Amino acid sequence: MAEMWISMGPQHPMTHGLWTLKVKVDGETVVDTEPDLGYIHRGVEKICEARNFTQITTYCDRLCYASANTWSHAYIYAAEDLLGVEVPERAEYIRLVAVELQRIASHLMWLGAYGPDIGNLTVMVWCLREREMMMDLLQELGGSRMHYNFPRVGGVKRDLPHGFAMRARHKLRLFLDRIQEYEALFDESTIFLIRSQGVGYAKPEEMINHGVSGPNLRAGGVNHDIRTSHPYSVYSELDWAPAVERSSIKGADCYDRYRIRVEEMRQSANLVLQALDKMPGGAETYHEPGDPKILAKAPSRAPEGTSGSHHFEDSRGESMFYLAGGGEGRGKMPYRVSIRSPIFITIPYASKCMIGYKVADIPAIMGSFDPCIGETDR
Amino acid sequence: MASSDWLNIRGWTESIIGWSMDTTHDLLPESVQTEFATIQPALELFFIATIMCTVVFAVMMLTLMVVPYIERKFIGRLMDRIGATTSLRSLWIGEGNATAGDWWNKLPMGLGGPIGFANKKLNQSFGNEHPEETIARVNNRGYHGIWFLFPGFFQALADFMKFATKEHMIPDKADKLVFEVAPVIIISTTIMVFAFVPFGPHIWAANPELSLIFMMAIFGVAPLGVFFAGWASNNKYTLIGGMRSAAQLTAYEIPLLITVLSIAVISGSFNILEIIDFQIETSDTWNIFILPLGAVLFLVTMIAEVERIPFDMPEAEAELVEGWWTEYGGIRWGLMFAGEMMRAYAACILFAMFFLGGWEFPFQDFLSSLPLVGIAFETVFMVIPGLVVVLLKAWILFAFFVWIRASLHRIRTDQILEFGWLYLLPLSIVNLVIATFLRLEVWTDSGWPIWTAPLLTLIAIFFFVIYAIDEDEEALAQSRRPYSTQALSKAYPGNQRKQEVK
Repeated sequence: MAEMWISMGPQHPMTHGLWTLKVKVDGETVVDTEPDLGYIHRGVEKICEARNFTQITTYCDRLCYASANTWSHAYIYAAEDLLGVEVPERAEYIRLVAVELQRIASHLMWLGAYGPDIGNLTVMVWCLREREMMMDLLQELGGSRMHYNFPRVGGVKRDLPHGFAMRARHKLRLFLDRIQEYEALFDESTIFLIRSQGVGYAKPEEMINHGVSGPNLRAGGVNHDIRTSHPYSVYSELDWAPAVERSSIKGADCYDRYRIRVEEMRQSANLVLQALDKMPGGAETYHEPGDPKILAKAPSRAPEGTSGSHHFEDSRGESMFYLAGGGEGRGKMPYRVSIRSPIFITIPYASKCMIGYKVADIPAIMGSFDPCIGETDR
Repeated sequence: MASSDWLNIRGWTESIIGWSMDTTHDLLPESVQTEFATIQPALELFFIATIMCTVVFAVMMLTLMVVPYIERKFIGRLMDRIGATTSLRSLWIGEGNATAGDWWNKLPMGLGGPIGFANKKLNQSFGNEHPEETIARVNNRGYHGIWFLFPGFFQALADFMKFATKEHMIPDKADKLVFEVAPVIIISTTIMVFAFVPFGPHIWAANPELSLIFMMAIFGVAPLGVFFAGWASNNKYTLIGGMRSAAQLTAYEIPLLITVLSIAVISGSFNILEIIDFQIETSDTWNIFILPLGAVLFLVTMIAEVERIPFDMPEAEAELVEGWWTEYGGIRWGLMFAGEMMRAYAACILFAMFFLGGWEFPFQDFLSSLPLVGIAFETVFMVIPGLVVVLLKAWILFAFFVWIRASLHRIRTDQILEFGWLYLLPLSIVNLVIATFLRLEVWTDSGWPIWTAPLLTLIAIFFFVIYAIDEDEEALAQSRRPYSTQALSKAYPGNQRKQEVK
């Protein structure tokens, strides 16, 4: 068959969002690819320049619907860096709980979407079922199901509600049991193994050169996790180590990327359990919103010429916010906001990863990189 | 035919038609009677065939409605054992002790007492002591425990009405003639398969001497229609889908035909009715116990033939949207979907015919020969017509198909080709050799020797167990490498801080 270009997207099951992957195929083999992004550009960075530091949080929630909390926290750490706020330790622990629960929910969303990518719909229903438990817990914290608007500059919106620790412990223990079911469904299926192993090799050095980060990079055997390499929050207080995949010499394949996320879900669950145990003042105590133990006083204006930035380990990689203070002239708003999206950097590389594989591998490879278009186009 | 039951629809039809033809003959004026007598057999044949075709078609269509019902319900249970909306339910029912629980008891100064009381009262009033009913309400199922309505059963009819009322669209620049002809090829050949499918000892439309060959030939026509549809739609996805269908065809069709040939060899006939009769009467052993390998091969190749997961690459929705279906809509799509169900259904019935003894109960003769309860069993076997047994077997097999669909992923095109040529084809030839050997050397005129079926079944179970538990630990560690994620030593700051503390 002659070579032809197929335009996969903007509406296509493979895209997991709204973008186009132009694929040049020779029969069943992929010869060339060309990603085309930008369909849902909303100008979040520009909008944020006209909002004050508390209002921006809501926009950051909406950067990625599957992982809202991590994005708002990524922003809030940058804002605290800009405004020079010292966050109470209890608030840091609560933030850690919120972020890690969100990471589990996001990875579950990924796993649920990855099953249909390679033809099994059962995984999706199972994963979304467990994701509901995480959403419930997050809803108790933030009051909303998807966009929580939870962190505040200097702390968090509210303390852990009554009984939250008990429910979280129960649900996470149940979840740790349920992970084994997914592993049984995936790892013990020969068809899954032959579909994912040896497919979509991504070399670690190439990933570093392209700027790919997060689970995709750790799947290649690189021990780079912002939570430990540039530690923030209270991650260094807890007993854990980032999961790193022992990939083959050719690089990380889809199976490695699947394993690393399942392993991260386990770790996040353990992190939350640990944080609940170690929380200063105990996880069962409750402080009113605005209590200095969970919310420090923060200035609302940043002096001109100052800037703040923060690396953050998002569910999908290293996200980064850069904020420039506007000073008195711009009121309480930042002068400039800039966002580094991990998936915006990953998608071009992932598109190159699938050259040489079959058409059927396109969703398997692209899905394994966990694309999220909301943050990509922002 | 020896195997028989009381539901003798064909016999009734024959006698009614014969009687009415004779009556017509007698009523006619004498001058025409001799002339009528010459065409009378042909007329009788025509009317009997027409009526039987109608009966078989009606039976097929009515029982086909169960197939999507099984698909929907069974896969629903497999995917969602406890309830997708765990969250809502966990608000008060609780699951695995992970529940919102009695959170009101945590409120200070007994403030939660009224809430607990209200919750208790609500539970008493609104049926929360019946968890299933609550789940049904939470999941917004439209029934509350009225099981005998078979909720969802008539959904297939509603779907069909929806498809029938939709607009028919042909894509621009499509090859209109081929685009319209392709669904006709697919649907008509699919329905034609049922001409040779006996639903019972006396419910069949046509019974040519070589019905097995006819059937397999017609079964193999539909992929041609798929290829036509994929080409004519003027869409790149459909084109790839059609190409995949054509490529896949050679990989599974040849093993399928060789496996079917082994059945013909072992049963000594190309006629489906005689194959069933061979299992029930002549050998008194189901073919699955004689040819377990053949049964497995037939099942696998049939799943590929009817294009279900894991072999549904022509319509892989993840990469090809819906493959060759993409451009079809309305009644054509609905009929092709029904045709797909019919093919899966026919595959199940065929498996029951070829390997599970058609309309015979499991261990029918053994149960009837039991000392005391034998008579009761015999009465039951007398009362229940063969039709019911065939349908039950087919539906259970279809549930097995659904089970496979729910638990496996989709295989890749080059992998099915490899699988077909490297594994299925040699295995099917081995199976044919086994069948030939058994028929020529082991088979005696009085039936299989007493050891044949148990021994062959035990061998099959032995190989299955070997296959199932044989896990090369080294290979697991090297190539399959499950659970290979490792936690390296701690990264710089956390590690250092901990050492400083020490």
